[in-house]
Amino acid sequence: MINDISIIIIEDQTRYEEDALVWELKDRFEDVRFFTNPKEALDFIITNESLRMIVLLDIDFNRKAEGHQILEEIRKYSFQIPVILWSGIVEPKEPFSDFINNKTFGYINKHATFAEAFKIIDDAVNFLNESIDKAVEEWIIQHPKSQMDKPVYISSGKKSYTLNEILKEMRMQTEVGKDFSKRLTKLTIDLLMRNKENLND
Amino acid sequence: MDNEIKHLKFNFDVSAYRLLGRELITDRITALFELVKNSYDANAENVIVEFININPKSDKSKIIISDDGMGMSFEDIRDKWMVIGTSSKRKRFNSPPPYNRKVTGKKGVGRFAVDKLGAKLILKTKQQNSNQTIFLETDWSKYQALEAKQFQLNFDNQENKFFTEVENTYWFEESDTSNHGTVLEISLIADVWSKDDIERAYKELAKLVSPTQTLKYPFNIVIKSPYLEFENKRVESYIIQHYTLKVEIEFDKETEKQEIFKVEKGELVKQLTDKRICGLVKMTLYYFDPKAKEKFKSSFPGTIIDGVKIYRDGIITTPFAEYVAQQNLQKDLLSIDKRRYSGFFDKLSTRDLLGFIEITNENNPNIIEATNRQDFVDNKEWQELKLFFIEQLSQVEKYLKEAKNVHRENTKSEFSTAKSEVNSFKKDISEIKKNAPPEIQKTLEELEKKAAKVEATVNKGIKEFNELEKEKKQQENLFFSLISLQTYAATLSHITRNSIGHVLRFAEYFKKNFPNPSLQDRFKHIANTIYDELIRLRKGLDFMLKYAQSDSDAEDISMKELIENTFYNLYHSEFEKEKVKTLVEINKDLIIRYNRKSIEDIFDNLISNSLKALSGKEDKLIKCSGTVTNNEFILLFSDNGSGIKDEDKTRIFDVFFTRTAEQGGAGLGLFIVDTRMKAMKGTIEVIENELKPTGATFKLVFPFKK
Repeated sequence: MINDISIIIIEDQTRYEEDALVWELKDRFEDVRFFTNPKEALDFIITNESLRMIVLLDIDFNRKAEGHQILEEIRKYSFQIPVILWSGIVEPKEPFSDFINNKTFGYINKHATFAEAFKIIDDAVNFLNESIDKAVEEWIIQHPKSQMDKPVYISSGKKSYTLNEILKEMRMQTEVGKDFSKRLTKLTIDLLMRNKENLND
Repeated sequence: MDNEIKHLKFNFDVSAYRLLGRELITDRITALFELVKNSYDANAENVIVEFININPKSDKSKIIISDDGMGMSFEDIRDKWMVIGTSSKRKRFNSPPPYNRKVTGKKGVGRFAVDKLGAKLILKTKQQNSNQTIFLETDWSKYQALEAKQFQLNFDNQENKFFTEVENTYWFEESDTSNHGTVLEISLIADVWSKDDIERAYKELAKLVSPTQTLKYPFNIVIKSPYLEFENKRVESYIIQHYTLKVEIEFDKETEKQEIFKVEKGELVKQLTDKRICGLVKMTLYYFDPKAKEKFKSSFPGTIIDGVKIYRDGIITTPFAEYVAQQNLQKDLLSIDKRRYSGFFDKLSTRDLLGFIEITNENNPNIIEATNRQDFVDNKEWQELKLFFIEQLSQVEKYLKEAKNVHRENTKSEFSTAKSEVNSFKKDISEIKKNAPPEIQKTLEELEKKAAKVEATVNKGIKEFNELEKEKKQQENLFFSLISLQTYAATLSHITRNSIGHVLRFAEYFKKNFPNPSLQDRFKHIANTIYDELIRLRKGLDFMLKYAQSDSDAEDISMKELIENTFYNLYHSEFEKEKVKTLVEINKDLIIRYNRKSIEDIFDNLISNSLKALSGKEDKLIKCSGTVTNNEFILLFSDNGSGIKDEDKTRIFDVFFTRTAEQGGAGLGLFIVDTRMKAMKGTIEVIENELKPTGATFKLVFPFKK
């Protein structure tokens, strides 16, 4: 049972709450949440920043392609959450370019089998477990609140950043955020190579 | 002379490159188009697009696009050309004076179009009065190689470069100060350009400037290629000829009033109304009937009548140089063809229309092109523009339909006039014959015979006209049911797919977990849901089958008996189970000759619709009352359920529209009712609910001839 990743399902049709895919997710993940109201889902995502989550998002809400806006809202907050589209749209006729822009993680068709669905969901789990940015983010969040607002890093543009600010930059994948994680990785590798540190706890 | 070679780096990353270069510039014609538009934005008056050695492809193949625009400074190249999504054009709406052209490229993606045409670019640019030409060389294949590498895991010690680290060489050369402009010399060409391809490019470029607009400063495009026909050809927008009808509306900027079309007494007139939220628009529509279409096709071989385009400030926005080999795959942004599912014969299609909607940055700032140039951002202004357009089109259709009817009636009355004239002619002859001298008797007899022949021909003509009319009506009905079947099939496939997915995963879950005792409840749920899903599917298939079986078998149907049978027998147990009271009042019986299944469908769907609206209510009531008037049978069908929201009233007959998805509503019921009513030339509408405080009332009108 995976207990450190939350699954957030945003889908307006309640009948999918009792879909076997949702059960299977509940069997595999401790925390599975089903939202029929996108706004509540967004509130949950934004107020639970310490959670690691994967979002399954429907596109068609009451015949309106609201999925596009919901994804956009999530991306205003973070690019680090894998968002998987779960939809029954017959042909991807609609403008998908914003889905590409907003970096969706994958697409599961409403008629997919478990095997097909979990191929993508497992990838998302791996992404969360293996991404360096995510690890750095977790490391930052572990700090006590008092430390979060102290300046700790000076960018190449000579601006200083607190842990909180770095967290935000990384989530939005800005130049500063990407640069920070690139430098951090370089530094880590450098230290490892010079045997200053080892990877064991 | 400053020939020293230096380097510049593009300022963007891998995903942006992929997205912009590949996903947005969908084909090479679009790419060419983007580059020519760049010249327009740079105040060029002349652009030459030159294809050299492009068939077959070799290392000598080149495409050169040169213009006499304002050119770029070194700073422009460094800070704009090399940066993605440059804001310079976004900040200003007009190109520099005196041209003040409305800038068309606002996304800053045009330059990536080059990559679609060829892998290597030498950019030469020179500003007016400058004595230096700047050269910049970009080798896109380096970026491609990097891109390929970035998608692989790299374990060797090779240094991993980023896109932003690739160096592009540049140098300066001295030149005389008089000329100016930009030349894009593209080599390592991606594809062969056949004559056909050049012709395509020509046709798309011809659409760049709106044919209804006269530009203050010329913008000439010349294509040069090895093909005789396009050796040195100026691109000209074709003149629209041979149309059946041309209509235009404009607006009054001062009073902010918009012209609209309106059909009045069979005439298409224009009226002034308040500005809509989409802003003031100009619109020109050309309609081609089949004869006109033939003529158009033979006058402009290879050119198709391809619907309505939107121009902003005289330059095309969309469909943006979109070349689609199969016309039926073309996007229908304005939803012209989608409507044809409801009312096939009176609606125009994109193949009957050429048209131009003219918008401007000033009047319509909130209508925004999507980044991929194939659509608009879906906001309320765009929605309104679509609506506005369809409203205008509907008036034109109404006008054409009425004109057609008038024409038909005229033909009919001409026939009967001819008949009576022949008759009186015959009478006149027989009168003359009585007193005529014998020498002309023979001639008169001949005339009589001829008149009889003419009479027979006229009679035959009338008979055939009537038969043709009848036949046409039958064909219309057939087409109509085929089209609604097509829509229905699409819906059914959608529902079936989702249902199958649902059932499939349940089966998977069951197979995996049975007989785990802690999951008993879920197993039960699985059985129930599979049952429900299959019932849903069966319902869908049943209707499909009904269609398949519904031949045109007409029979005499007593409406009173049919309705009473539906209420008292077919739905009796269902009403009892749901505790629904019914009230059926039909004042007079009416026998109509029609297909029974079609009429049963209407009541089936209305009742099941009401049952959904009544669920959870107390004192449930369904009322059905009918009155027979002189030539109509009017039926009011009411329930005291949850009612229909005002905003839904216009949409409830749309296919897929449902507010009862939870109860298995698929958005089909009322669509089917509407389809069936229209096929009978009847109508259905929502009127004020007769049962209070809540509920819905449908008014159905069945026309008949006594």
